[in-house]
Amino acid sequence: MALLLAISPLVIVGVGAMLLMMAEAFAKNRGGLAIGATIIFLTGAVFAGAVWMFGIDKLEGIAVLSPWLVVDRFTLFFDALLCLGGALAALLAGGYLPEHNLDRGEFYSLLLFATFGAMTLAAAGDALTLFLGLETMSIGAYSMTAFRRTSARSAEGALKYFLLGSFGAALLLYGFALLYGATGHTDLAGIGAALKAGGVKSPMAICGFVLVLAGLLFKVSGVPFHAWTPDAYEGAPTPGTTYMAVAVKSGAFAMMLRVLLTSFGDPQSMSWSSGWPPVLAAIAVATMTVANLIAGRQESVKRMLAYSSIAHAGYVLVGVVATMRSPQTGVASVLFYLLTYTVSTAGAFGALILCGSRGKEAVSYEDLSGIGRRHPAAALAFALFVISLAGVPPTAGFFGKWFVFKAAIEGGFYWLTIIAFINSVIGAYYYLRVLVYMYMREPAAGAPVAVPMRSGYVTAALLVSAVLVLFLGIDPGRSLEWAMRAATLGGM
Amino acid sequence: MANHSHSTASSTPARAPFGTSEILGLALVAIVGVIAARFLNSTLPALLAALVAGLTPRRHGWSVRAPLGIMCGLIALFVVKLWPSTDVADITAPPSEAGSLLSWVIGLPIGGAIAILFMPRQAHRVLKWSTLAIMIATLGATLPLLRVPMGRAFHFNEDIVWMARFGIHYHVAVDGISIWLVMLTVFIVPIAAYASFGSIKMRIKDWCFALLLLEGGMLGAFLALDLFAFYVFWELMLIPMYVIIGVWGGKDRIKAAIKFFLYTMFGSVLMLAAILYLAYSYAKITGGQPSFDYFELQRVLLPRNVQLWLWGAFTLSFVIKVPMFPVHTWLPDAHTEAPTGGSVILAAVMLKLGTYGYLRFCMGLFPEASAELAANLAGVAVLGGILYGALCAWKQDDVKRLVAYSSVAHLGYVMLGIFAATPAALEGAVLQMVNHGISTGALFLLVGVIYDRRHTRMVDEFGGLAKPMPVYAALFVIATLASIGLPGTNGFIGEFMIITGTFVSNKLGHFNGVQAVGAAIGVILGALYMLSVVQKMFFGPITKKENRRLADVNGRELLALSPLIVMIFVIGLFPNIFLVQIRDAAARVRDDLQTRIDMNPAPQFYKGPMRLLPRRPEATKLTSTAAAEGATAAAPPQAQGH
Repeated sequence: MALLLAISPLVIVGVGAMLLMMAEAFAKNRGGLAIGATIIFLTGAVFAGAVWMFGIDKLEGIAVLSPWLVVDRFTLFFDALLCLGGALAALLAGGYLPEHNLDRGEFYSLLLFATFGAMTLAAAGDALTLFLGLETMSIGAYSMTAFRRTSARSAEGALKYFLLGSFGAALLLYGFALLYGATGHTDLAGIGAALKAGGVKSPMAICGFVLVLAGLLFKVSGVPFHAWTPDAYEGAPTPGTTYMAVAVKSGAFAMMLRVLLTSFGDPQSMSWSSGWPPVLAAIAVATMTVANLIAGRQESVKRMLAYSSIAHAGYVLVGVVATMRSPQTGVASVLFYLLTYTVSTAGAFGALILCGSRGKEAVSYEDLSGIGRRHPAAALAFALFVISLAGVPPTAGFFGKWFVFKAAIEGGFYWLTIIAFINSVIGAYYYLRVLVYMYMREPAAGAPVAVPMRSGYVTAALLVSAVLVLFLGIDPGRSLEWAMRAATLGGM
Repeated sequence: MANHSHSTASSTPARAPFGTSEILGLALVAIVGVIAARFLNSTLPALLAALVAGLTPRRHGWSVRAPLGIMCGLIALFVVKLWPSTDVADITAPPSEAGSLLSWVIGLPIGGAIAILFMPRQAHRVLKWSTLAIMIATLGATLPLLRVPMGRAFHFNEDIVWMARFGIHYHVAVDGISIWLVMLTVFIVPIAAYASFGSIKMRIKDWCFALLLLEGGMLGAFLALDLFAFYVFWELMLIPMYVIIGVWGGKDRIKAAIKFFLYTMFGSVLMLAAILYLAYSYAKITGGQPSFDYFELQRVLLPRNVQLWLWGAFTLSFVIKVPMFPVHTWLPDAHTEAPTGGSVILAAVMLKLGTYGYLRFCMGLFPEASAELAANLAGVAVLGGILYGALCAWKQDDVKRLVAYSSVAHLGYVMLGIFAATPAALEGAVLQMVNHGISTGALFLLVGVIYDRRHTRMVDEFGGLAKPMPVYAALFVIATLASIGLPGTNGFIGEFMIITGTFVSNKLGHFNGVQAVGAAIGVILGALYMLSVVQKMFFGPITKKENRRLADVNGRELLALSPLIVMIFVIGLFPNIFLVQIRDAAARVRDDLQTRIDMNPAPQFYKGPMRLLPRRPEATKLTSTAAAEGATAAAPPQAQGH
């Protein structure tokens, strides 16, 4: 019974996905699917919370799951976070898909299956489950990208994503194969113990390590492994983009933290002279800077948000680097950042959805001009989320950045922090452009105008995100406490 | 003195003979005034109110004359009540300090802004009047501050734990320096709002929302003593100002708005990094929690090399805001493009956050570094601010741009006074912040008046304006004279104190005399560029026929301008009622600075390690309660390491 409770979030989302698929096959109309998916996600999140409150230590017999699945607070935090991201994406899809004539019910099943994969990924304690989770998640995401069958953009993005994603997964798999050869373990803790005992000396282990790191960076789309991201994000229907930017990225960071801190958490691998921190620091700098500079040049808001999500991955990487000196603070800052990033990004994409309607989707900055006057509520919501992404108090995004940078300063990474700070100023430039177009420009005469849509689903998603953005921006204390308690990876 | 300014304003038009309604009205005002005076213990303000209301030209109607009279009466009351050492008996028992007063002061505008969001967009009158009502309520809420003799201490402390784990508090308090900046804010913002309602015609709701949020943010930044809360307020006021410039501004508004935002944000993120480092150093020394409290962080003694970096980050942020050469370039653009109300608030209040921030945070937290580099920065303030700013202003052909550059010059004086750090210079600098707010606020309002009529601000377009617009010309000349520091106006007091203070300063290396002379030359340059523009615009023949029939200031404009004009003379003639509050606080700042410098004199400096100094007396009472709260907050077992 305790065992079932421990994996209940996974079970709920997995079983729910199958039930929803059956319901979709037999139902006459698809009206309730979005609600159904949302309820399944929320139930999953509630159960994750229930297990947390019940107490991980009181669950007997969860040792049976190890090393394949690890149920700890870290897993539960990610379960809840991924379910939140999934629920927001499902609500957005409930408004977006019928509006744009894409109303096919498999989208919701795909969402649930992908989330199931991401939750497995967050819980995986073994390279095998990790890979299974990764592929389940990725295949869901590939299909979502290709969801607009008639659009060449969508197909192009999906193909790129699929090819590069498979490539990344293959790198990861090769890496784990080499590590298995070097250490004789496939479970992450075992690999970590063997490396700790013997030190990372054999070339095979080093090659495996490098390949694993490259595979991980592919999934979080760090520069220079980011090339697939803008096309995939732009081609996918916007709720799919939301899901990829939010949940897939969070799942990938869960995997990255778990692998780095469990398998490569030994003092040598975590040192500045001979380990992964300098590599990640360099990639974090490249990711932030390149993505921010390119994002400033975009004319499409959707593509700008895609690059912005890459830039945010860079900030998160700063937090990952900070785990070198103070693992708990570093991991907690990453968890909290992902939470704030989830609500802000989901909100921003949701507001973008709300600003367009059938045949008149808002894509470019021009489409947004004058929205502030024509549709003040949508514009206000968009402004709030964009301000949060830019990291201006009192919004969630500010505290996300605050804690990541604080962790980095406490870890002594001053230059990294200053570069991140400067990047957040560059970021402010293109986030402000959204405000400029919404409030300070009028559409050019004769230009096609995006017509805002009406949808209860989208409004609900925006309301939830807006409340969370403001709540986390004014009183982040308790959620941060949770993130601190969830930061219990490896030997910490 | 108050009626002196008004007789200037009112003497020019033909004075109509008194009719019955005049006499009845005057009698009514007088009766009400005398009754009020019975309770206010002084008949002078009431008589003055009646006099002003009676003497104002008849064409303005009672809706203008009554508020004018009441305003003058209130200002006179303000002078009478604050007259130093007249009623010593009253102060024997210090008035009680309601703990939550400052939260009301900050909360009223912010709460009002949120309330405005829920009002109907079309109800322009309701929106405007409720905005004004909220602003005046805020002004009313600050009045109890004036009754407290500030001395060297901080008053009205309110310290609430915000995020216990990180030592982040919501801590607000007021001292003799910040009280006048708070008063300036609550005084200027309603005037700017009222004046702007005449020219802002679109998106009234957004305008009201932005103004109220801006006021709340600025008040919070002046009052916050927790560095985290300070940063939050500092950033909070950025967005409304950005929107004000970007939405209601001129032709190039978007470029100016983005320039303003990016400059300020660049400075402030570096300051944020420095705040984090400072709080983390505190945690490292104490081995416990970090703290963002001003008094606690003041105790951190940092080695010289670290301190210089942190000081640099703070200073850059404040210097951009002031702005000082060479990071002043956002200011002329922002001012040229901003609407009148935005310019007034930007110049009168927002720039003061830079000077105030330097005085409070750079000098308070990093005294050694501030003292070490004061001489260099004072050189920049004199050459790049006072002289270069004045020369730039001289060459402008756009009046608003000219006033903007004159701000660069005037704030150069303020910064020079702060760097000089002698008693006279510091007091003069604080007073000059208020002065600049009032005289430059008035100038921007006046430029807005002519812009509303002609839709141009080029000096060449005008000439001989004194003929069609006599009252306007009189007001403009008064504001100009205040700006260039004519004795009897407020500008004289501030600049005189700063220059004399600079002469005797020992903080400016060997160049204090040269710098004082440079500043004095700046006064001459100020007279040169301001008077030449006045001469070109107002006197001589009327060159353009469009100018021949321009309407003089209307009731709204007169109402908005008159309190500023009156205050110019109030400060100019009775500076002591302001200085008496500033004196002890400025002495405290100076003594703190001197104590720290004497501890580690210049050639050796402090090399490290980081350590904590003992609590200072005025902070003891406060921090003991804060520490007790911290202890209770830390008491429950925290799930740190699992």
